[in-house]
Amino acid sequence: MAQPVVRMRDIVTRFGDKVVHDGISLDVERGEVLAVVGGSGSGKSTLMREMIMLLSPTAGKVEVLGHDVAGISELEALPLRRRIGVMFQHGALFGGQTVLENVGVPLREHTELHDDIVDELAQVKLTLAGLEPRTGALWPNQLSGGMRKRAALARALALDPELLFLDEPSSGLDPLSADALDELILQLRELLGLTVVMITHDMDSLWRAADRVVLLGEGRILGTGSMEELARSNDPDVKRFFSGPRARGAQTGGG
Amino acid sequence: MASDPASVSSNGQDIVCQGDWTALQLDRAARDLRYLRPLPGDVEIDLSGVSRIDSTGAWLIYRAAHKWSKLGAKTRYIGLDDKTRELFELIAGQGIEPGDAPHPPAPGFLENLGRDSAEAARNYMAFLGFIGNATFSSLRILLTPARLRWSQVVVESEEAGFDALPIVGMLAFLMGIVIAYQGAVVLQQYGAGIFIADLVGLAMLRELSPLVTAIIVAGRTGSAYTAQIGTMKVTEEVDALRTMGIAPIELLVLPKIFALVIAMPLLTVFADLMGLLGGMIMANNLLDVSFQNFIDRLASEVTIADYLVGIGKAPVFALIIAAVGCYQGFKVSGSAESVGKHTTISVVESIFLVIVVDAIFSIVFSRMGI
Ligand SMILES: Nc1ncnc2c1ncn2[C@@H]1O[C@H](COP(=O)(O)OP(=O)(O)O)[C@@H](O)[C@H]1O
Ligand SMILES: [Mg+2]
Repeated sequence: MAQPVVRMRDIVTRFGDKVVHDGISLDVERGEVLAVVGGSGSGKSTLMREMIMLLSPTAGKVEVLGHDVAGISELEALPLRRRIGVMFQHGALFGGQTVLENVGVPLREHTELHDDIVDELAQVKLTLAGLEPRTGALWPNQLSGGMRKRAALARALALDPELLFLDEPSSGLDPLSADALDELILQLRELLGLTVVMITHDMDSLWRAADRVVLLGEGRILGTGSMEELARSNDPDVKRFFSGPRARGAQTGGG
Repeated sequence: MASDPASVSSNGQDIVCQGDWTALQLDRAARDLRYLRPLPGDVEIDLSGVSRIDSTGAWLIYRAAHKWSKLGAKTRYIGLDDKTRELFELIAGQGIEPGDAPHPPAPGFLENLGRDSAEAARNYMAFLGFIGNATFSSLRILLTPARLRWSQVVVESEEAGFDALPIVGMLAFLMGIVIAYQGAVVLQQYGAGIFIADLVGLAMLRELSPLVTAIIVAGRTGSAYTAQIGTMKVTEEVDALRTMGIAPIELLVLPKIFALVIAMPLLTVFADLMGLLGGMIMANNLLDVSFQNFIDRLASEVTIADYLVGIGKAPVFALIIAAVGCYQGFKVSGSAESVGKHTTISVVESIFLVIVVDAIFSIVFSRMGI
């Protein structure tokens, strides 16, 4: 029985009086593509921040790659962080470095590989993420929103992480690029045994890329299962989320 | 699954890779690969001893093979499973040539010099343009004063003025002490202790109070102006204002300029008082000049003109600091780093300009005999 890559138990998160999570338990299994969905402000990004050790929940237990991360020190977290790639919602590229340097940051920091090898690898990751190698010479503020996402994905992939977190990877991408991104994620999962946790609103991605979908709302998990299961569900909350015209369009088109 | 770090060996022709070829385990293998030079002919790259491999490891092997085949070797991978083969295909399929990375063009010395000079000239013109724009907007707004955001002027002048009282007062007080102390040593020798009041009075009122105030304000308020406007530029808030038909200069710049022009003279008055107080206390301590004598001497020797000369400089300094601070804020582009850079420029440039203008004032006033 393989251990879950991320295990969350009874997570409670409060900001002041505001309860964002009210008892969430969730396992991310090795090798799966798990999608987290939910309305804006339902606490998806916050949940992700807890999984990547940027935020401690108010109460509850988080285990990442088999380690309890409650009160973990930065030093202890470092080996875990190296095995995790994160793509932030707005890219979070470093403005003072070119795109190529941005993608090379993790490699330069954690390995002693030669600069030209790092640059080549950065280009490989850029093309993997769907950008022209020439884009590497640009500065982040010269990129469009979609390009910025792809560059951020390339950086998240730099160390071939076991566990990849994507916060709204396809928002801001045109449909073709979004399709290509889904393909890429599936391919990387296949080849590198990647486990992916992605936050998304994109119904097409949910149908095509996600093995399992978790619906957040009202601080709880309202539903979990494959897209087919959720689409068939009779639970009123789940129905409401997945039965809008956009959701149905995606099903007939992509499923 | 702990395994040995990646290693590579060769019998002079065929290559054997072993161990864990993932990004964090590659340092030694990467070094060794650089020195391997198979002869032309068939070269088998044996991967059967590789326990794990990721795209970094695969790329290292691929680029070495690529290099060798350019030297005439015919490389062939053996002993790899389907997934690894697919990984190699994925990586090779990206069409990246080893050895040429795209970097922004790096100009040479002369080009840099030329660029920098042109940039400096453009900058100078742009700054003048900004001043013109701000002046024009100010005049227009003075015709319809209701349009100025007075509530913001009040908030800004509280932050730039009232909140700065402790630090300005403290430093001016210390300045008064220092001058009195230095002066006392000399004056005592001539038994001319009472002249301490002239010294402290003239130095503080005419020169040091406005200067100290300006330097502190440049450091704490000018820099804040740059950082605030700069950050708003990075987050496109300035553009958002523009699209809503709100002139950034009216919302962001004019209230700051007005606030500082009001606050700086007031701060300077306070600095005058504290400086004199410091001098007076030292005079009493070191030279036995009583407070009464000090004040009488001050009243008879330091004229109202001396006082006004000092106070009069303050609004000019305020204009310089606010204009430079805001201008540098608008010059920020793109990144957090740029915010830092322009904040530094803002402080250095405004202090520099304040001192230059102060020197010009001194010359002009002495010519005019004030
Ligand atoms: N640092 C914070 N301080 C206070 N409230 C926060 C903080 N971060 C997030 N929140 C609140 O938590 C809720 C969930 O936010 P988030 O996880 O970003 O939602 P989303 O599901 O849209 O990603 C929101 O209501 C947000 O206002
Ligand atoms: Mg979010």
